[in-house]
Order: sequence, then C-alpha cells, then structure tokens
Amino acid sequence: MLLLAPTVLALAALTVYPGVWVLWLSLQHRIPIFEVSRFAGLDNYAFLAVDPRFLNAGRATAIFTVASVALEVVLGLTAALAIHAQRGGRRLALSFLLLAWAMPAVVTAKLFEWLYHPTAGLINVALGARSLNWLGDPGLALPAVVLADVWRTMPFVAILCYARLLAIPAELYEAAQVDGAGRLATLTRITLPMLGRILLVAVLFRTLDALRAFDIMFVLTGGGPAGMTETLTVYAYRALFQTLQLGFGSAVSVVVFLLVMAVAWAYLKFLRAGTTVAA
Amino acid sequence: MRRPARRIGTLGDVVVLGALAAYAIPFFWQLLTSFKPEAELLRVPPLLPSRLTLAHYRVVIEQSLMPQALGNSLGVATITTLLALVIGLPGAYAVARLPLPGKHLLLLAIVASTAFPQIATVSPLYLLMRALDLRDTWAGLVLVHTSFALPLTIWLLAGFIREVPIETEEAAAVDGAGLLGLFRWVVIPLLAPGLASTALLAFLFSWNEFLFAYTFTVSGASRTVPVALALFPGVFEVPWGDIAAASMLASVPPVLIVIVLQRFLVRGLVAGAVKE
Amino acid sequence: MSASAGRVPLPLRSLLVVWLLALGGCAGGQPQSEVVTLVFKYARILGRADPLPALLRSFEAAHPGTRVKGEALPWTSDDQHQFYVINLEGRSPGFDVMMLDCIWVPEFARAGWLTDLTTHLRPDELAPHFPSAVAAATYGGRVWALPWTMNVGLLYYRADLLAKHGLRPPETYEELVDQVRRIRIAERDPALDGYLWQGKQYEGLVVNVLEALWANGARLLAEDGTVFPEPARAADALRFLRGLIETGVSPAWTTAADEELSRRAFGDGHAIFLRNWPYAMELFETADSAVRGKVAVVSLPGRARGERGVGSTGGAHLGVSRRSRHPELAVALARHLASEPAQRAIALGAALSPTRQALYHDSELVRAHPEMPRLHAFALAGRPRPVTPYYLLISSTVQPEFSAALVGVKPPERAITDARARLSYFLGAIR
Repeated sequence: MLLLAPTVLALAALTVYPGVWVLWLSLQHRIPIFEVSRFAGLDNYAFLAVDPRFLNAGRATAIFTVASVALEVVLGLTAALAIHAQRGGRRLALSFLLLAWAMPAVVTAKLFEWLYHPTAGLINVALGARSLNWLGDPGLALPAVVLADVWRTMPFVAILCYARLLAIPAELYEAAQVDGAGRLATLTRITLPMLGRILLVAVLFRTLDALRAFDIMFVLTGGGPAGMTETLTVYAYRALFQTLQLGFGSAVSVVVFLLVMAVAWAYLKFLRAGTTVAA
Repeated sequence: MRRPARRIGTLGDVVVLGALAAYAIPFFWQLLTSFKPEAELLRVPPLLPSRLTLAHYRVVIEQSLMPQALGNSLGVATITTLLALVIGLPGAYAVARLPLPGKHLLLLAIVASTAFPQIATVSPLYLLMRALDLRDTWAGLVLVHTSFALPLTIWLLAGFIREVPIETEEAAAVDGAGLLGLFRWVVIPLLAPGLASTALLAFLFSWNEFLFAYTFTVSGASRTVPVALALFPGVFEVPWGDIAAASMLASVPPVLIVIVLQRFLVRGLVAGAVKE
Repeated sequence: MSASAGRVPLPLRSLLVVWLLALGGCAGGQPQSEVVTLVFKYARILGRADPLPALLRSFEAAHPGTRVKGEALPWTSDDQHQFYVINLEGRSPGFDVMMLDCIWVPEFARAGWLTDLTTHLRPDELAPHFPSAVAAATYGGRVWALPWTMNVGLLYYRADLLAKHGLRPPETYEELVDQVRRIRIAERDPALDGYLWQGKQYEGLVVNVLEALWANGARLLAEDGTVFPEPARAADALRFLRGLIETGVSPAWTTAADEELSRRAFGDGHAIFLRNWPYAMELFETADSAVRGKVAVVSLPGRARGERGVGSTGGAHLGVSRRSRHPELAVALARHLASEPAQRAIALGAALSPTRQALYHDSELVRAHPEMPRLHAFALAGRPRPVTPYYLLISSTVQPEFSAALVGVKPPERAITDARARLSYFLGAIR
C-alpha cells in the first residue's frame, strides 16, 4: 500500500482533481480579469450545442482524425512489411522512420511550414511552377495539416507492426512455401490476420492521439484560415487563453475530454469483444 | 532468429532504404536550409546552396532564447523522468505483483489517465499554478509534466516487471531480502533495459511537450525548446534560415536517442502497445 | 542512465521534493543589488534607426543608480496581448513600464494591472496630445497610460501611375475600383495588383473591416452597447470587401496579408493602391526603394452614397504596472519616454508618429518628413475603435467571422449574424 501511496497521491492531485475542477468551471461564467465568477448551469453547453464555430471545430476534428489514422495505418503497414522484407540495413531504415517520429511536433510544424512556402517551399518546387498557397487556401489547409501529422506519426504504426511481424514464427511461412503459396496469398492469408490485433491497437492509440492533437495545427496554421483547421482542442485553447474565458473554455475542454473517453471506451469494448471471440 | 522464407534481394534492400531515406527528406531539407545563406533561401531552384554558412546558428545561439530554452528543457525533462521513475516504480511494482482489492479499477484509472487530453486539465492547472505562484518556474512545469508522464511510466514498468520471472524474487525473499533489498538487488538490475526504455519515452514526452509549456512558461527562466521555437521572433519576415537552425538544435536530443538508443526506444514503444 | 534512479531511498526522495519546491521559489526571485533595474517591454520599432536605446540611456544618466532593460515583445498585437494577459494575471509580471496598444488600456485598467497616473501628472500635462489618444488613455475618469505614438489609416497610391492616366486620387471606393481597372488595362502588366490591404485573421483585419463599416454607415458597437446596430449595412460592407478579392481588384493573398506583407508588395512596385499606417511612408522613400518619389497619401475613400472615408486611429501608450517594485521611478521613465524631446527623437529616427500635436508643425521634423502637417489633419479626422474594456473580447470573437466572410467560406450576412449571437452571449456573461 505504501508503494502505491505516492502514485495515487500524485495522480489524484494532478489528474483527478483538475478533472473534476474543469467540470465545475464549465458550469460557471468565469473571467478572472473582469472578476466575473458566477454559476451558469448548463448555459455554456447550451450555447455550444448550436454554436457554428463549435460544430465547425467538430467537423475539422473528425476529418483530421479519420484521414490521419487511415493514412497512417496504410503507410505504416506498408513500411513495416517493406522493412521486414529487408535482409540488411534494417537499423538504418528504422532510423529514418524514427527521425520523423522523435522530434517535437513543433519542429515538424516548422519543417512543414517551410516546405509549404508558396514560392520557396520544396513541395511547390517539386510540383512545378504552380504556387499553391497550402496554408492559406481554405481547401488545402486541412489536408496540409493532415499530411504533416501523418508524416510524424506513421512511424509509430510502422514500429508496432514491425515488432509484431518479427514475432510471427518462421514455420508458418515455411509451411506456406511448402504448400506453394504465392507472395500475395502469404500476405493476405498469414501476415495480415496475424497483424489484425496489433493494427486495432494501433488504430486505438492513433485515434485517441489524433482527437487530442494540438501542437501541430496550432503552430502550423493557428486554426486558420477562417477556422478551417481549428480543431476542438484549438478552439478550446483559444476560448481559454485568448481572453481568459475560463468557464466557456472549460466547457469546450470537457467536450473534448468526454469525446476522447467515449472513443477509448468504445474501442476497448471492441477489443475485449474481439479477444473473447478469438478465444 | 531464422530468416523467414521470402526475402527481397540486395536491390530490394536498397530500394526500401531509398524510399525511407526519401521519407526523411523534410528533415534533411530543413538541415540543408539551416546552412543556406540568407540571400539564397527564397531563390529556389537551385536547391543546393552555393556555399554553406553558420550564420543562422550564430544568430540562434547568440541572439535568441534557444540556448536558455535548451537548458530549461534538459533540466525539466531530466527531473520529470527521475520523478516519474521514482514515484512510478514502486507503484508499478505494486500493481504488477501485489494482490490488491480494487486493483482492476486502479489499473483502469491509470489506463484512462494515459488517454486524458491535456486540454481538459489546462484551465484548472492554470488556476492552480497561479495560486501557487509556480508559473514560469521549473517546479511548476515538472509537476505538470510528471502528472502526465506518471500513468505512462506505471503502465510500461508494470509490463516490464511482469516479464521478470517471479521465481527470482521469491528466491531473494527466501534469502532474507527485505522489500528495499529486493528492489535494489533483484528487481532493478533485471529491469534495467525496461527502465531505460521507460526513461527514454518519459524524457522524450517531456522534451516534446508543448501545450503546458506554452501556457505556463513566460520568459527565458523556464521556457522550453518547443515554445521557444514556436515563438521564434521574426521582425519583418519569417527568418526561415534561423528557424531551421533552431529546429535542428531543438531536435538534437531526440535524434541522438533515435540513433544511439534505438533499441530501447523501440522496446518501449512496443511494450506499451503489445502488452495486454 | 536511470538504472540508479530506483535505488534512491525514501529520505532522499523527500529531499528531492523539497529541493524542487525550493527551486520553484528560487526561479522567481531576483538577486539583491544596489542598482535599481527597471524593465521596459516594447515591440520592436520599425524604421531607419532605433531611438529607444539612446532614450533609455539618457534616463539612466538623469537617474544615477538606475538601469533600464528594454525587452522585446512578440511581433503581432494579438500575441502581445496574450503575453501581457498571461503575465499580468499572475503575481509578479517582471516588468515595470510597458508599451500598450491603445485598445488595451481600458481592459488593463479595469483588470487592475495599471498604476493610476492621474495624481502623478500635472493638470495640463496631457493637453498637447491628440484628444482621441487622451480619450483612449482614460477610463472611469482617471488616466491610466501616457499617449506615446499615433497611427491613422491612410490610402497610399502611386502618384506616377495616376498622373500618367490623368486621374485624381479617388474619393470613393467605387472610383478606386474603376481606376484600378483602367490602369491595369492600360499598363498591361499582369504582375500589377490593384488595392492592397490587410485581410489576415488578426487585429489588423478588424481595423480594415471597421473602416469599411464606417464608410458604409455601419458601426461595430453602439453607445448603449448593442453590437452591429446596423447589420444589413455591416453585411454589405463585408460583401464589398469580399468582392474586392473575388473580382481580383485585390489579390487572393490579401486574406493572408498583414501590414508588412502588403507594404513590401507595394514597395516593390507591384500595386497601385495600399491601405496602411503612416510608418510605411518613410520606408518607401529609402534610397533603394523601387517606388521612391512615386508614392503619395490621401485619406481613405468613402462609399458612393455613403459616408466620407475616415481612417481608423491607433497607436501605442505607455503604462506602468501596478505591481512594479519601483513605482515612482517607473512613472518617471514613462513620462520621460512620452516627453516632447523623446517623441521628437522617435519621430525623427523611427517611422512612428508622435501624439503631441505641436510636433507635426515642428520645422526640424517637417524637414525630415514633409508629410507631417497633412498627417496631423488625417489623425485629427480619424476615428478610434470602440473604447471599452471588452474590446479584445469583441475583436477576437469577430475576427474569425470576418475572416470566414473574406475567404468566402461564409456569406457575409451569416458572418454578421453569427458574430452578433456570439458577442451577445459573451458580453452577457460579463454583465
């Protein structure tokens, strides 16, 4: 019990207590600099329910999450398979991937901001003379952010799949080869099913991370242009700290919190169900 | 590890390596940019500079907050890692080994904590920091970082601990080792690689953390690297070359970890996910 | 690396915690010394020379035993505001005198962050300044800041191009649009833009939209606090601005343009008209400028069948933090920087206009900047943004709506409706 005491204390003080506090804040009108502090009930939530900016943020979050996770899984799986098929140079290959993952998201944002530069950015140069305004065009901004995030987080999925691939016993492949199975058949009948579970875990992690993503869109576009890349987290942050509307901002934060928890819970149930079925 | 049946030849190896090297091009382009003379930055093509220059690094080191930020980040990340390990190891051990009532609930709470969105706690933590006057201090940032590194640490360490065969501990107990001795002579040495992996992930998390650092740091006294980079001053136009140099400096520890301690990093990443 | 961490026994662990708390205390403290250090926060000044260091040194010379540290703020007005809010909200902001955008003074005064300067000033000390600047510095009948620099929105135009085609400076926007069309057809230069202004999502956008609103007879805030009391005219003004971009009179990148971006494009000779602050004038007349001698200014146009054009005023004020450890000295520093010699030095060296009206007819300054007398008239005719403690709240709420309308993501009417709904809720929370 003594062993657990510091842990429980730390968690209670710094995670649980603020978690409850933010709920309480969301039920208030709280603006410290104007000494506003009064109970507001569910007013903030009622406002959010019909708030176009909130709905827009929800849309941006949903698109970002789905697109990001889908791309990461596909690319990550491909990369893992490719590295696994290598005979030598794997460490180097992994290093290239991990380079992208290990850096702070802010560095990635600055990297891509430079790449997306209309005239001097590598991307526009590679595409020819067309100076696409990646970060300024409302239609292009969100894809641009998704691309940057996928670049940064695909290695995580790749590493997970790769580790799982290493654990697949060689006998399976040898047996398949003896049976005369072709490459594609091996892939679809043996490799992918064995990867099924880890892929689900990867999707879970990545979905939760994408829902909570903040750094990359905040630094790359600040939520613009015209709120096209303003996800729920960015909206919450702006509501909180641009004008210190702590009550209203907390309400948006709580929504993010509940959303993430709901998705986590749903996934875990799905995973657990998967386990019992498999068993 | 025996080779599975199907492998690509050396040509295939090179192709894969080439593709992944191409994947890392954004990083290398930024690296090149950091050495490109100012006048050539916006005149692209040609892609390659006529000469390399250290001017941007000089500006970053002499005129920006980066050196201080690097010190702050190093200090905060190190202390966070140490704290998370010191508090988390006993907790992880208890969770992994000791039968406890309500352990399942606790485990669930810990797992849930790893899914906690930082935005959810930033407003009450802001009020807390304000009340305790911990804004713009290392202590405040370490506290907040630790609160998020702790669940991750416990989860990872619990997994690693479970991999240590219990017989070793039982043998030590038979030999008369107390709990502390058990820790000191048995658990930790066997756990060393797992500890390293966990420490690396905790360190990287703290180094890369942005949201809390942005909100709770104000000046060079505690500003960390990601914040210093995000707020990199540009008077007229964006100083792309200087930002590139700052980005490279900001990436030094993560890159070092990737290259030198790759094995531990991968282990840590995998352990967090594969463990069920 | 951390294999030894787990070996830290219990007493050492608690020592660690104590050490951390001590670290926290130490990090905020200041070394004891005999020299009094004042910290002055300001945004970097554009212009040929930075007159600030000399002014700070002259203050140090007049007050032996004092050192003044000048520290730079973030670049944009919004970032500066966020910096100040996050800092001043805490206990020890760490600076004494601060440069404030005039729109923040009521808010900071209301929040209790500024020292009341009324008793520190002579009764007529503020008389030489522009009335609008003094009004912006006053809240609740007390003076909270000293007027420092003045700004007013102006229309820059290429006098050479207009003269070449026999045109006089436009008095209405409709004239301007027509002139742009004619000149571009005649010049046959595809790289020549028409009218440059600031449409990026930041405070500058609100300034530009306000000027368009005013020209159309609409307001952002009525005296009784109603927001957008003339919504149809406000939507119409927004639609006009969007139309400028849609028809190509203004380039597509206007929605990402701030003062500097637009100034540089105009300064490279790529545009006919530019809306900007007075600081740009000097930068257009540097030796290596592509438009040297070709630029003239006039007041902003109005709308046909609308009101006369009027520029938005702006500028910076100097405030003293209420938590300054050396309030008397800090107030002295602020007065020193706002004094007549200081404002003269700033007007000479930098591209900033003073708030002291007499300086606009000062022979030395007029020699260096021949535009000064005209600027004086423009500034007097200018119109301030709403002077209210809630200005930032209002601005940050309407910015995304304006931006959405300009980018074409939302119809102007809906942008105004949404802006009204949000503002009503947020302002209602305060009252």
